Amino acid sequence: MSILYVLIPLALLILGGAVWAFFWAVGSGQFDDLDTPAMRILMDDDRAPKDSDE
Amino acid sequence: MAAPDNCFHCALPNPKGSELTVDIEGRSHRVCCPGCKAVAELIRDSGMSRYYAMRDAPLPGAGKPLPEASEWQVFNSREMLDAFAETEGGIAEARIYAGGMYCSACSWLIETSLEKVPGVQSVEVSPLTHRLRIRWAVDKAGLGDILSGLSNLGYRPQPLAADDASRPEIAEQRAALKRLLVASLGMMQVMMFAVGLYAGDFQGIEADMQHFLRLVSFFVATPVVFYAAKPFFTSAWRGVVARRPGMDLPVSIAIGSAYAASVYATFTNGPAVWFDSVAMFVFFLTLGRYLEMRARHRSIDRSVALSQLLPNTATVVVNDENRTVPVARLAKDDLVLIRAGDSIPADGVVVAGASSVDEALLTGEAEPRRRAIGDLLAAGSVNLDAMMTMRVTRTGGDTALGAINRLSERARFTRPAFVNIADRIASYVVVALLVVAAVVALYWYFVAPERAFVITLSVLVVTCPCALALATPAAFAAAGSRMSDLRLLLTNGNAIEVLSRATQIVFDKTGTLTYGAPVILSTTILDDRYDETQCLSIAAALEQASSHPIARAFRTDGTLPLVTDTKVQVSQGVSGIVDGKAWRIGTAAFVTEGDAPQTASSTIVFLGFDTHAVARFELTDTLRADARDTVKALINMGKKVSLVSGDNATAVAAIAAALDIEDAHSDCRPEDKLRIINALQESGERVVMIGDGINDAPVLAGADTSIAPGHGALLAQTNADVIMLGDSLHPITTAIRLSAATMRIVRQNLAWAVVYNATALPLAAAGMVPPWLAAIGMSLSSLVVVLNALRLNRYT
Repeated sequence: MSILYVLIPLALLILGGAVWAFFWAVGSGQFDDLDTPAMRILMDDDRAPKDSDE
Repeated sequence: MAAPDNCFHCALPNPKGSELTVDIEGRSHRVCCPGCKAVAELIRDSGMSRYYAMRDAPLPGAGKPLPEASEWQVFNSREMLDAFAETEGGIAEARIYAGGMYCSACSWLIETSLEKVPGVQSVEVSPLTHRLRIRWAVDKAGLGDILSGLSNLGYRPQPLAADDASRPEIAEQRAALKRLLVASLGMMQVMMFAVGLYAGDFQGIEADMQHFLRLVSFFVATPVVFYAAKPFFTSAWRGVVARRPGMDLPVSIAIGSAYAASVYATFTNGPAVWFDSVAMFVFFLTLGRYLEMRARHRSIDRSVALSQLLPNTATVVVNDENRTVPVARLAKDDLVLIRAGDSIPADGVVVAGASSVDEALLTGEAEPRRRAIGDLLAAGSVNLDAMMTMRVTRTGGDTALGAINRLSERARFTRPAFVNIADRIASYVVVALLVVAAVVALYWYFVAPERAFVITLSVLVVTCPCALALATPAAFAAAGSRMSDLRLLLTNGNAIEVLSRATQIVFDKTGTLTYGAPVILSTTILDDRYDETQCLSIAAALEQASSHPIARAFRTDGTLPLVTDTKVQVSQGVSGIVDGKAWRIGTAAFVTEGDAPQTASSTIVFLGFDTHAVARFELTDTLRADARDTVKALINMGKKVSLVSGDNATAVAAIAAALDIEDAHSDCRPEDKLRIINALQESGERVVMIGDGINDAPVLAGADTSIAPGHGALLAQTNADVIMLGDSLHPITTAIRLSAATMRIVRQNLAWAVVYNATALPLAAAGMVPPWLAAIGMSLSSLVVVLNALRLNRYT
């Protein structure tokens, strides 16, 4: 069981890395808008604006 | 989607007799005005029809284009570019507020269409703050072109000064998200270590390993308590300092004492640690607050609410030269030219000209006021019929409008402290459980030390406060989502408990119980050479020239006779030549050039030519279609109903009589309304205020809870706890019934949690429940609470 003395601190280090990465992502504005990107994938398309006569 | 009798584009009711339609994706939809038709067709023709399929239900009027096309071209000047954008190497960057934007589909629409404007390099839209950041090549397009592009889509753009960098909502959301992440990751980690510790207690564990796991738990739980739970501590402390302890105080005591006891146990090898309970409690509370914050942000943007009422630019007279400057640059003693139809940009004194001014935003009174040299003008009111020059006395936050805003801020701050009973019970139970667990541990330590660990553990697990902690937030979250299905936007979760116990409903009159705009009640023909249709169309043709509220009552979409030589006479009426005759519409004195009596309760307008009256129109502000039913339903529910209004006694009495409201107050200024509400509160009533105007904002903030209709002023909505989408009063009763149902669910949940804990605790304390059974019991009790709360999703 003594391997836990290595594995748990290692897990905590990785956890710290994940928290740091998330804080960076929040700070750079990636989470400011949680709704539009989800919608964009449904709405945007490759059609040129001209051939959109419906 | 809009109801069939409402505009497809902006969701306002379609005017009777209007037959405007727009064809989208093979179906024909009715729209309310040529403006909405133009916007809808523009959206269709640019291949973005899917906007209509993807958007949320619109706030009525949100996307409706302004009737008078603003002169965006003035923003193409060099001066404006310098004032509102930062230019570097031929690329300008500007920040623009898009009024009328309400959902993610709007931000998609704005981004996609602005990217098609030549020269535009990038557009970033934030649906949260309704702002967009745009970068474009200055030699290809001007700021005005971008603003008019937004305006063509039906939004009300407002360029923000380059130094407007403060976005409190973004900062708040980012901080809340970080806290939530720390709480959730911390909770998961601590739970994992806790499993190890529990298993160890159950099967035996080396003392070193147990100490190690406790230390690690301490290490992970510490940021959860000091970072994620910090807002609870600061708010609890604020409550203590203000001698008005809020619900965060017991929460903080529970978190703080459990954490301190666990730290002590960790370093003194005590019987048990509770880091897992602490982390879980913090996580659920943080999650609840985060969801509540998102709902609040979705509906309001307080920072811009005020400036949206002011124009973007003002015309300043310097050395007999007119110069267009941003309103933010106005200074005291500037001379400002105000044209007919303009909003007044700052408080000031008239130095030249005379006109009538619509101050309804400030006073709530529909009747325009006459203003001449020496009179005061208030920012945010609208100049109706003639050009005036004013000298600026106060700008920005110092204006009367700014003062109303501050009054409502203050009322919000001094709102009666509301202690959420459910959360308070949960917090006390947490403290009590910890004490009981400690007593049980101590007892067994002396009676049978070898069993003390397992039994204390079972006590802690079986009585885990999860069910208690979840009882209220789960029910409130379900109620919030059900409310938005029922077209009610909840911006403050506490409103549910207050609404469920409301005893007194106070209505504003103009715009809330009534439509807020005069309509033609009756037409009397005084000259039988003309019929009603002819008179109405001549009247409509003449009134085209006027922006007076009365003129709006005559608007139609039919073809109108040609008018030449129109003149607007301040506070009297409009004259013009139709079919060779000099027609006049307005007061009796104006039309007949003689004296005629006026009645007080409704407005009388005459139409005639050559001092000969042809028709008489009676205009009045009518009751909303469902006002009567709603008031009756409220009285049947046992609520007391009152009416407070800034309007005159006759008009208020007429409405009160029509609705059977006994308690009616007239001629109230915002301060008077607030005093009436406070007096009711002192006599023990729980007051719900329902109002829509700027002048209602302080009262909405001061009442126990408040509801604002979605069509009302933005400032009123920022101060309301619940916003009704849609054009009906009926949701008020729904909100109250749903709140009562929610509180019933909360009480059931709390009762269940207490009964469960009360049965499980003695059994566990007596050593009859092994830890694994305790864990199953705890999970099941939480599940019961959540499933019970979800029943609200089917509430009708």
